[in-house]
Amino acid sequence: MTAPVRPETESRTERPGREPVANAWRIVAAREVAVRLRDRNFLISTGITLAAIIGSMMISGFLSSRGSTTDLAVTGQGATQVVQTAQRVADAQDDDVTFHASAVPDAAAVEQQVADGTVDAGLVRSAQGWQLIGDTDEDTDLSRYVGTAAAQLAVERNAADAGTTVADLQRGSTVTYRLLDDSGNDEATVKIVGFVFAFLFYLSSILFGMAIAQSVVEEKQNRIVEILASAIPLRHLLTGKVLGSTALAFAQLALFVGAGLLGMTAMGRGADLGAVAGAAGWFVVFFVVGFLALAALWAVAGSLATRNEDLQSTSTPLSMLLIIVMFGGIFASGTVQVVASYVPMLSIVAMPTRVVAGTAAWWEPLVSLAIMAAATYAIVVLAETAYRRSLMQTQGRLTLRQALRLRG
Amino acid sequence: MLEIDHLTRRFGEAVAVDDVSFEVAAGGLTGFVGGNGAGKTTTMRMIMGVLATDGGEIRWQGHEVTAADRRAFGYMPEERGLYPKQPVHDQLVYLARLQGRTAAAAQSAATDLLDRFDLASRRRDKLESLSLGNQQRVQIAAAVIGDPDLLVLDEPFSGLDPAAVDSMVDLLREYTSRGVPVIFSSHQLDLVERLSDGLVVLHRGRVVAHGSPDELRRSGATRHRLVLGGDAGWVRVLPGVTVVDVDGASALLELTAASTDELLAEAMRRGSVRELVEVRPSIADIYRKVTS
Repeated sequence: MTAPVRPETESRTERPGREPVANAWRIVAAREVAVRLRDRNFLISTGITLAAIIGSMMISGFLSSRGSTTDLAVTGQGATQVVQTAQRVADAQDDDVTFHASAVPDAAAVEQQVADGTVDAGLVRSAQGWQLIGDTDEDTDLSRYVGTAAAQLAVERNAADAGTTVADLQRGSTVTYRLLDDSGNDEATVKIVGFVFAFLFYLSSILFGMAIAQSVVEEKQNRIVEILASAIPLRHLLTGKVLGSTALAFAQLALFVGAGLLGMTAMGRGADLGAVAGAAGWFVVFFVVGFLALAALWAVAGSLATRNEDLQSTSTPLSMLLIIVMFGGIFASGTVQVVASYVPMLSIVAMPTRVVAGTAAWWEPLVSLAIMAAATYAIVVLAETAYRRSLMQTQGRLTLRQALRLRG
Repeated sequence: MLEIDHLTRRFGEAVAVDDVSFEVAAGGLTGFVGGNGAGKTTTMRMIMGVLATDGGEIRWQGHEVTAADRRAFGYMPEERGLYPKQPVHDQLVYLARLQGRTAAAAQSAATDLLDRFDLASRRRDKLESLSLGNQQRVQIAAAVIGDPDLLVLDEPFSGLDPAAVDSMVDLLREYTSRGVPVIFSSHQLDLVERLSDGLVVLHRGRVVAHGSPDELRRSGATRHRLVLGGDAGWVRVLPGVTVVDVDGASALLELTAASTDELLAEAMRRGSVRELVEVRPSIADIYRKVTS
């Protein structure tokens, strides 16, 4: 068994004319960043993700702002009035739909026009009231608004027949809703934002994590690590790799989140922006702290492997962890979510999601972050030992336990 | 001066390096010879600090070698290692910077070395796009880019064509003439014999021979080749002579008690003599003898 030996605490008297070794990690970090920024795959995948974020926001913005128009062929007395009332109901609900009615002589003509596509739907009298006629699908908006309109007209007519008014009939039935705490966002926004956080976390962690592991294996496989290890302490090599990758991951994530927030503003969701931006800020901070630990663990996954092919198995526990964090972030709710928001790693997604939902007090993210910072420190220290001990091992794959048992 | 003092390294039960001691003098080129598994690479890795020692000491300029000393050691590992996908110039600069050279010094050293190896036009190319010979040249450049105080080269000549060997030797001579000790391992015994000022033969983890090529050759028995006009079979009965080989008119002899004059006189008495030469053993002969 081989083991690296540089006692990391050894005092170093620098040779004149050489720069201090204390700066070595910066040189390593700068290389990590420079190599990645020149990596075409990295640039392309970043561009595609950015385009996907902006594109999906533009598409959903476009869809939600575009009104729909439904042409109707109608026949029978009062049919046009029903359609007009349906239009008023829709307008009252700020729904951007337009119903356009054209009267035809009889029901057969209505069916004819629906069948040949001249109109989207038809409205005819039936024994009980009205009947909508569609071609192959039911239009739920149409049936809701026309149903409400028909009911309203019928109630008005029946009330008039009974010598009263609708207002009289409905007196005392008004129900309003008062929220004790209206700081949170609506449920749909929370779900979407939580999903986005979970997905971005997974994407960045896998992308950058795998890159770290591969760069460690590359150095190990090429044995350049022997040259590196004789020049600088391995701790500097690990520090430079972890910090360089974390800086890049942070920059990329900030780019994605920034694009998302800009997109929200552009979509006219500015009202939700405050709460979401705050949570996104927390998310980025949590991610950076958590990713420091993940980066160190990915480096260990790389150092345990001897060839690129080994990475598949040495990185499995890590990939599992990332998947757990992602799905935990998406699906956790209630007490489970509260607990998750304090568990290091799980909290990266869970706590910012709670911030968006407005269920976290102001101090909760701070406490959770402190817990994760402590965990990150412990993980990095452990990872550094495993990395240092297994890096010079080139006789096949190692387990973490074997690595920690190696001579230092 | 680099001193290796009773160095030992075990891998489990196996002793890979067993009580090895030798010195590499300032400005000296020391060849490290031995079969596979003799302990050459293990010793070199211990000198470079990438492998722990189990016993003994490595001293540099009289004190136990430190990490700071090693930072200024140039190293070419046995299994060649650089970044395949990084441009050649960039990675040389990176390695120089890691060894503590300033950015400016690293840049100019990389440019100079690539010029020297006729690789200036390839400086922006990825290492993997270069031919194997050129990759080897870059590897050599990587070993010296840090302005080394000591050079440790594991099999630096393997895979080089004769012209490249010569230019490599020229480069190493430049460093030795500046007082930099160089230690290199090789399987090519003739090359080691031609180049080295000192020679260390390792066998199964132990030093079995150590000295300058001349010293080593002198330590072996000197032989003589005698070529006659007629059959040389009579030498078998000559006293004071051990016959190594007789083939027709030619005989290879080891003079145990007899002198060359006595041998020549006897030969001339028996017929014509075409040739009588001293045959010094080659390093290859010595090597075979000490490792058998």
